[in-house]
Amino acid sequence: MFDFSGYEMSDVRFDIDDYRGPTPGQGYTFSLNRNDVDLKLRITPHPRVVGVVETRLRFYGFVSSQTLAVADLWDASQVSPFTLYLDQAYVAVKSLPLSWIDLKAGRMQVTWGSADIFSPNDNLNSRDFSDPLDYTRKVPNEMLEVDAYPTSWLTLNAVWVPIFQPSWLPPSAPLAFAVQQNAQGCLTQFPAPPLSVAQNQQLEGLFSAVNPCALSFANPSVTTYLPNNALGDSQVGLRARIAVGGLDLGLNYYYGRFGFPVAYDASVSVTPGSPQTNIAYDAEVIYPRMQVAGLDFSYSAPWLFDIGFVGDAAVIFPEPVNFALGIYENGSPLLTLVQPNVSGQPFVKATFGAERSFGDFLYVNAMYIHGFFDEFDDAYGLHDYVSLTPEFKILHDRLKLRIAAILDLTDLSNVVYPQLTWTVLPSVEVMLGAFILGGSTHPSNPLDYASRSKFGQLAAGRDDAILRVTITW
Amino acid sequence: MPAGRLAALALAVLASPSAIADPAAPKLSPAEILARMEATNNDYADQMLNERLTVVDVDGTRRSYDLTFRQKGTKRLVEFTSGESNGMAVLVEDRNDVYVYLPGFRKVRRVSASSMNESMVGSDLSSDDMATVSWAERYDVKLEKEDDTSWWLALTPKPGVESNYGRIVHRVGKAHFLQQETHWFDKAGQEVKRLVSSEPTSYDGVIRNKLAIFSDPRTGHRTELETTSAKYNQGLGDELFTVRQLQWGR
Repeated sequence: MFDFSGYEMSDVRFDIDDYRGPTPGQGYTFSLNRNDVDLKLRITPHPRVVGVVETRLRFYGFVSSQTLAVADLWDASQVSPFTLYLDQAYVAVKSLPLSWIDLKAGRMQVTWGSADIFSPNDNLNSRDFSDPLDYTRKVPNEMLEVDAYPTSWLTLNAVWVPIFQPSWLPPSAPLAFAVQQNAQGCLTQFPAPPLSVAQNQQLEGLFSAVNPCALSFANPSVTTYLPNNALGDSQVGLRARIAVGGLDLGLNYYYGRFGFPVAYDASVSVTPGSPQTNIAYDAEVIYPRMQVAGLDFSYSAPWLFDIGFVGDAAVIFPEPVNFALGIYENGSPLLTLVQPNVSGQPFVKATFGAERSFGDFLYVNAMYIHGFFDEFDDAYGLHDYVSLTPEFKILHDRLKLRIAAILDLTDLSNVVYPQLTWTVLPSVEVMLGAFILGGSTHPSNPLDYASRSKFGQLAAGRDDAILRVTITW
Repeated sequence: MPAGRLAALALAVLASPSAIADPAAPKLSPAEILARMEATNNDYADQMLNERLTVVDVDGTRRSYDLTFRQKGTKRLVEFTSGESNGMAVLVEDRNDVYVYLPGFRKVRRVSASSMNESMVGSDLSSDDMATVSWAERYDVKLEKEDDTSWWLALTPKPGVESNYGRIVHRVGKAHFLQQETHWFDKAGQEVKRLVSSEPTSYDGVIRNKLAIFSDPRTGHRTELETTSAKYNQGLGDELFTVRQLQWGR
């Protein structure tokens, strides 16, 4: 039996700020003009076998470059670039080898934990933040999964992921380490590396005597070093879930790597010259190993107004990472600074949330988050957040107003993401929205790596107005 | 009277719908009528329905959704197979154990019981409405009136029972003890919801109304729930109503 489904989505965004781009005053422009076509095929050749293939064709809607060679105008990949994604491609067999065991193999996205989006127990797939507004998306990966259901109240899962896939980062991510220059091209600020304030003062002292206008400081080059494809670099997840009365409880274990890059080392090469001294900053980032032991729960409380509660807590045992920065002048070492970036001490990340529907009119979801998914208790630390998402339904669900908001309690930066969705007809939705980032674009202390505003920094992206049309089948 | 004609008359009487509620038989009490109605509603071990849910707005605009509905006892598995919720599936083990598969999150999650009162895709139907309801457990019943074809039962909440409604009125068909109409009144006596069922149809020997129309008399907004196909007593296994099945192949 075949089941064919999918969607087509057109997404247009317009930058509504002119100070959060790579160059201040960059202006108001369209930032997205994208079309996605998602095709999902589900095949059930046998009642106990299912195959799922889900592909997504993405057309970017922009020419690949603002300056395109005439000779390239015939080339569709230049004029109308696109990407083909394979989001899922797996086969699952039920009741094999025993009636209470299911096997699954192939390219998958597996979500663990009870809390939506912010579960620290959800590590099997890295996050896809290539589009920060599509924050539920994950990087698919090849896996082997065994699911066992020995009793009605106990579920056991084991997943093996042979090859590590890193998280995808937004296009604005390089702005996290971009140098700041004024209109005359003079250096005004360089991003503080993950060293202590005293060490960064020492670093700054090396250049303080130099006229900043005489420094040619290109944006840092950052290279990621991925794990080898050895057996020991593969990842494993184990989980036990118990249903006790109205409570679901999960115990989780993960061995693998943190999906986001962590600063490892850097070198600053100074080449004195006239009229300018050239400075090249090359950095390397790695994906440290980690073990994660956590638990999660979900519960609906009939004795407390039918509120649903979820919670995830995990102890992360990280691989220690020392950050080393070497400064060289004409190849000769001037200064070496070393600082633990990840201490190697276990730390806790947690999310607790509650949700409730109020008739047909309102749904509210609220969460407290300790440690965002891209935080690893490195030199930046772990921040605390509250998230609140009310969804108002009007005209019998034809109009929905959802306002997703998150506040960083540590630095008070925030994101507000209102979305007004109109269900024109069944399967056809039009969404008007905005993505607004709040917070300082500059660190409170330029010498303190940890003082960058989580959502205010330029790397978090730009404020956008959004128009999205989706048809589902 | 010749034997052949007598036999034919007997056959006609036996086949007549009115024979099922024989006026010569002892009169049924309101509680007995309600019990017979509930037995008719629930006289299956399991059911598998393909439904078309059509939301009709007050301006006449129609939105239709297809869904499959499986039920065994109090457990239900509802899957949307069209519309913007296509791919979403809801498992109800009981009122406080509700799970939903969310395609956008690619995960199964428990949802709060408060969602049971939410309307489905903006319809006049909530998940609670699709549940098997035992009126007798929660409501006292009186016979309001009757005619040749129907009984009208008036239900009021039993002492200590929390209900959004002050009064509920069922029209029960004498032919098959089918729930033909239901009128829900709030505590101020205003009718806030109405169900009208029609087109009795035999599905594998199980008589059901093919069409159920839920409406809000205050606004005129209504929802038509049409059973496009139904199978009963298929021997559905308990394993079908599990989280395992909910996430299978999604």
